[in-house]
Amino acid sequence: MLTARGFKHVYNVKGGIQAWQGAVAEGPVELNLDMVRGDETPQEIIKIGYGMEQTLADFYRTVIAGTSDEQLNTLLGRLASIEDKHKKYLLELYNSIEAFPVDQEAFESDTTTTVLEGGFNLHDFMKKNEKYLHSAPSLLELSMMLEAQALDLYLRFADKMENEETKGALYKIGNEEKAHLEALGRLRESMGS
Amino acid sequence: MFDNLKKFFTPAESLDSDQTKAFLGEHEEGTFTLLDVRQPGEYEQEHIPGAKLIPITHLPESLDELDPEKPVVVY
Repeated sequence: MLTARGFKHVYNVKGGIQAWQGAVAEGPVELNLDMVRGDETPQEIIKIGYGMEQTLADFYRTVIAGTSDEQLNTLLGRLASIEDKHKKYLLELYNSIEAFPVDQEAFESDTTTTVLEGGFNLHDFMKKNEKYLHSAPSLLELSMMLEAQALDLYLRFADKMENEETKGALYKIGNEEKAHLEALGRLRESMGS
Repeated sequence: MFDNLKKFFTPAESLDSDQTKAFLGEHEEGTFTLLDVRQPGEYEQEHIPGAKLIPITHLPESLDELDPEKPVVVY
């Protein structure tokens, strides 16, 4: 049908979702879509993304403060530093399109939120997932779940946007999330979990 | 009836899980469509991140939501 209607390249995922061995997201199409209106500028959407990255980095650092497990601490430090790199990317993306570039401090004062990547409320998330915060393998699984939800949310945001430039910014953020998810997958393999 | 419909929509080429992962990794977001043609309840339970949901029964009247110039990966 798709090819008959002019779609040039159509690929079927053999075996469907049952055969898929990569990351998955869950929830309905509308999940957390009320975080955006649909008419945001690229700058506004980058700020929303930055706030969620910041909250996730803070989350990892909060967990670090509460543990003495060395392997867990090392992993948490790595995860927090990945979020910091992602924040840096978002700030650079913002400044590449903003007529009046801002420094990190000014940017952060304008992007405060308690929403984690993927759209989760920080306090609810910590309460619900406390049991996964005490070992490196389970924390890594949790982190990968967050990244998969984040990728999914950014791309659903993109679908809702009216402005093509805002969609473009979200696709760039999505590419970052995708690379991040792949990096976590490699980290999991290296940990043998 | 569903099987007949499904056959009608079957695309030409298949990708296994690894090939699909490679495709998604190699292509930038916005340059392709990842299409989930299952029912909303199935999508809600789990889906490949970034998939656009258009149940197969609604696909004929929703084709204008998709860009025919972009590759489509469908499941």
